[in-house]
Amino acid sequence: MTPLISVDHFSKSYEEVRAVRDLTFEVNRGELFGLIGPDGAGKTTTMRTLVTLLRPDTGSVTVDGMDVRTRMKDIRAITGYMPQRFSLYPDLSVEQNIRFFADLFAVPREELPARMDRLYRFSRLEAFSRRLAGRLSGGMKQKLALSCTLIHDPVLLVLDEPTTGVDPVSRNEFWEILHELRAQGVTIVVSTPYMDEAMKCDRIVIMHDGASLAQGSPRDLVASMTVPMYALDDRDLVMNFSRIETVPGVRSVQSFGDSLHITSDGDILPERLQSAIGGALGRDVHLRPISPSLEDVFIALIEEGGVHVL
Amino acid sequence: MQRILYLIQKEFRQIFRDRAMIAALFAVPFIQLVILGNAITTDVTNVDVMVSDLDRTPMSRHFAERFSTTEYFHLVLMEPDYNALRGHLDNGRAKLAIVIPPHFQRDVITGRTPVIQVLVDGIDGNSAGVALSYLARIAEEHQAQLLQTEPALGRSLREARIIRSEPRFWFNPELESEVYIIPGIVALILLIITVFLTSMGIVREKEIGTLEQLLVTPIRSTQLILGKIIPFSILGFVEITVAMGFIYLLFGIGVEGSLWLLFLESAIFILTTLGVGIFISTISETQQQALFVGWFFMIFAILLSGFFIPIANMPDVIQYLTYLNPLRYFMVILREIYLKGTPLHYLLPETIAMAAFGLMVFSAAVLRYRRIIK
Repeated sequence: MTPLISVDHFSKSYEEVRAVRDLTFEVNRGELFGLIGPDGAGKTTTMRTLVTLLRPDTGSVTVDGMDVRTRMKDIRAITGYMPQRFSLYPDLSVEQNIRFFADLFAVPREELPARMDRLYRFSRLEAFSRRLAGRLSGGMKQKLALSCTLIHDPVLLVLDEPTTGVDPVSRNEFWEILHELRAQGVTIVVSTPYMDEAMKCDRIVIMHDGASLAQGSPRDLVASMTVPMYALDDRDLVMNFSRIETVPGVRSVQSFGDSLHITSDGDILPERLQSAIGGALGRDVHLRPISPSLEDVFIALIEEGGVHVL
Repeated sequence: MQRILYLIQKEFRQIFRDRAMIAALFAVPFIQLVILGNAITTDVTNVDVMVSDLDRTPMSRHFAERFSTTEYFHLVLMEPDYNALRGHLDNGRAKLAIVIPPHFQRDVITGRTPVIQVLVDGIDGNSAGVALSYLARIAEEHQAQLLQTEPALGRSLREARIIRSEPRFWFNPELESEVYIIPGIVALILLIITVFLTSMGIVREKEIGTLEQLLVTPIRSTQLILGKIIPFSILGFVEITVAMGFIYLLFGIGVEGSLWLLFLESAIFILTTLGVGIFISTISETQQQALFVGWFFMIFAILLSGFFIPIANMPDVIQYLTYLNPLRYFMVILREIYLKGTPLHYLLPETIAMAAFGLMVFSAAVLRYRRIIK
């Protein structure tokens, strides 16, 4: 089956800033696909292009075989988009908000009750249908926003950082809903700066400075990190680890909360590394072997990517 | 088409959700009318006046007394010393000094024209001018009365003033300024509603982020604009209808001309104000910004419209500038229809100018809006 989304050597600049450069990826039908990266990585620009709000400078972007430059209306009809700063009309009720977007997407009136029932079932907003949207909690607002983008049964759902600023319980609930939707066959493209959320995607593209650093399933990406990693649990060293970085056999050092993650260059035995670091610090240390997380992968990619991205 | 209706429905839901808003819809024109209608007055009454009677004859005394029997003037003192008059004017005891010359009675009887000197404190030039014209009227009335009561003087008086100027004021016979001001308030209400609600309504969607959401629906940008301006235009028309009702109740002034013509001209006028509203929304990111720019526009539009400062009193350069102000034409049109019942064909020049402006501003604003959205 052909992929639903095909982004091919896509670049986009705003005046001086190159927001996205030479980005290529594909999203298969029914996939939960993640755009992962820090602020300014180009995630929003990519998503706004997917939903036809921006035009690519160069390269091609197609949705269901349709070019985003020319088939804007057709793409919008099959796409649901939730912008990062999504807000509803706070002075309209939950039901009025949903109905308004249903009307704009020309959902037939006779189909509306069944669709609203379905949306209410997963969002559990039915009890609040007459409440003004402005009086909902953050998590409920998010679910109402999602309901409004789903009312026209889109094939593709594009969500720009949907869980930023939402409490952890609501975040979990939100991701459960996304998995439910994927089970129903909706293709979902979601962006997030959170690595734990990235792990919940089928496939991801890791973005930095507008370019793709790596793509694949999050598990494969983690597994691809073959160099040994160690944790050094020492609160005092977290802020001051420059002496460790210069030890032979150490490729990089990152602070992670109360511990340091040390990547070795792989040629050195763990015991030798441990005593070398101990020697540099002038005291005994204990290195604990760990398996790398997606975050480690991301940092490692940025460090080595830094050379050939520029 | 259907989608525009949904947008309008949504807009009205939001408007009527807010009870304070509904109250404001009726309170605003009422308060504006009461305050503006009564406060902005160019009528002159109770001008403090002093008289210096240098003749001291029955006839001169009789003339001086006229100033204590009219509501326009308030006779504060009789000053026999001519040289003291200036001091009284300077310290503000009186605004106006009337000097009845020596031999006043003799001149009248012998048929020579007596010259009465008038000294005016001209700080408030407008009031001074009005007071002077009242004074001239009093002098003429006095003369007319003399003719009747003392027929013996008839011949000589006719010779003294053979030609009498007799201005007649139509449509506002009492020269009451609220009659002139009030139709202008209708224009102001329409201006405020359409400029501010349109710009702030669009910017609000930007501010809360719903605009981005509307843009990815299959709705077209033209539909989006229509969905905004139609409800606010309807609101504007409801508002001026309410205002005209209040005008009738409070001031007893009804529309002399065709109500339909008045509405038609209003519709042409709001092309400009809606256009300005849309334009403001394209350059503002927040409602405060929109409000600020809107005020800026409004102040100039009102000051240069002839609403309370007659355009003829402005310097030439500024007068030419007012031709670029659509409110100027609308002020004239409204007053003509409201007070005189003037039919359309006499108002064609203003109507055409206003329509040309409206179409230009409106289409430029819509084009800019569509370009910004893309």
